[in-house]
Amino acid sequence: MGEYKAVTIAAGKGGWGGPLTILPTDKKKYVYSVTGGGIHPVAQRIADMTGGVPFDGFKSSVPFDEIAVAVIDCGGTARVGVYPMKKVLTVDIHATSPAGPLAQFITKELFVSGVKPDDVKEA
Amino acid sequence: MPDQQNNSKVVYQSTVTAVGELVSDFRDQGLLVWFGENAPSELHEFSILHKVAHQERAPMPGDVIEINSDRFTVLAAGSVSSDNLLNLGHLDLKANGLTEAELPGDVNVEVCELPMVKVGDTLKVIAASN
Repeated sequence: MGEYKAVTIAAGKGGWGGPLTILPTDKKKYVYSVTGGGIHPVAQRIADMTGGVPFDGFKSSVPFDEIAVAVIDCGGTARVGVYPMKKVLTVDIHATSPAGPLAQFITKELFVSGVKPDDVKEA
Repeated sequence: MPDQQNNSKVVYQSTVTAVGELVSDFRDQGLLVWFGENAPSELHEFSILHKVAHQERAPMPGDVIEINSDRFTVLAAGSVSSDNLLNLGHLDLKANGLTEAELPGDVNVEVCELPMVKVGDTLKVIAASN
């Protein structure tokens, strides 16, 4: 059994949505970095602070229902909507607002954007 | 246009390896989403997956994007579109006619019907001459 702590993540400058509270559990422990080029610093910080397990979505995969939070660096069209569509809490590094074919799934309860490492705080 | 062909420089070239089920729906909205083959599986259904043969740089305004024999002039390229393409093989190609990218990942071309893409098709980015 892991020990986990909650963090809250507010929208950064020019960002949208949130704040989100992230609390991994044993069944939902992964901090999913879908950013390319390894684990993004925001994902690493969330993992460090919560005790969640970081992993790189471009290298491996886990089931959606085991993901505590997805961290993306989407400029706005596709990745920005796909995780909210699956009801996965989603943090976008870029300051995007809901747009694109999947915009209907992007809500303040599921999505926060413009996030930098300092926007991740202890809950 | 043999002369243009000779003077033009291909700065990016790839081959389509898979086409997701929702690609045609996205195409109907003037959008083609591209990703490299190592993209997570949840992105596959609305994506064209492709394999890079050659990459020098990503599209810039004035370049031509060629999908098989269809050619589109790039009107705008968002601030993260270059990193997206070069790092992830990711391209959001929008036929919206806008000369400024609405979203940082967008690459815009003129308003037109985007082609049906199939496995084996070629994507090229051709640098504006000179």
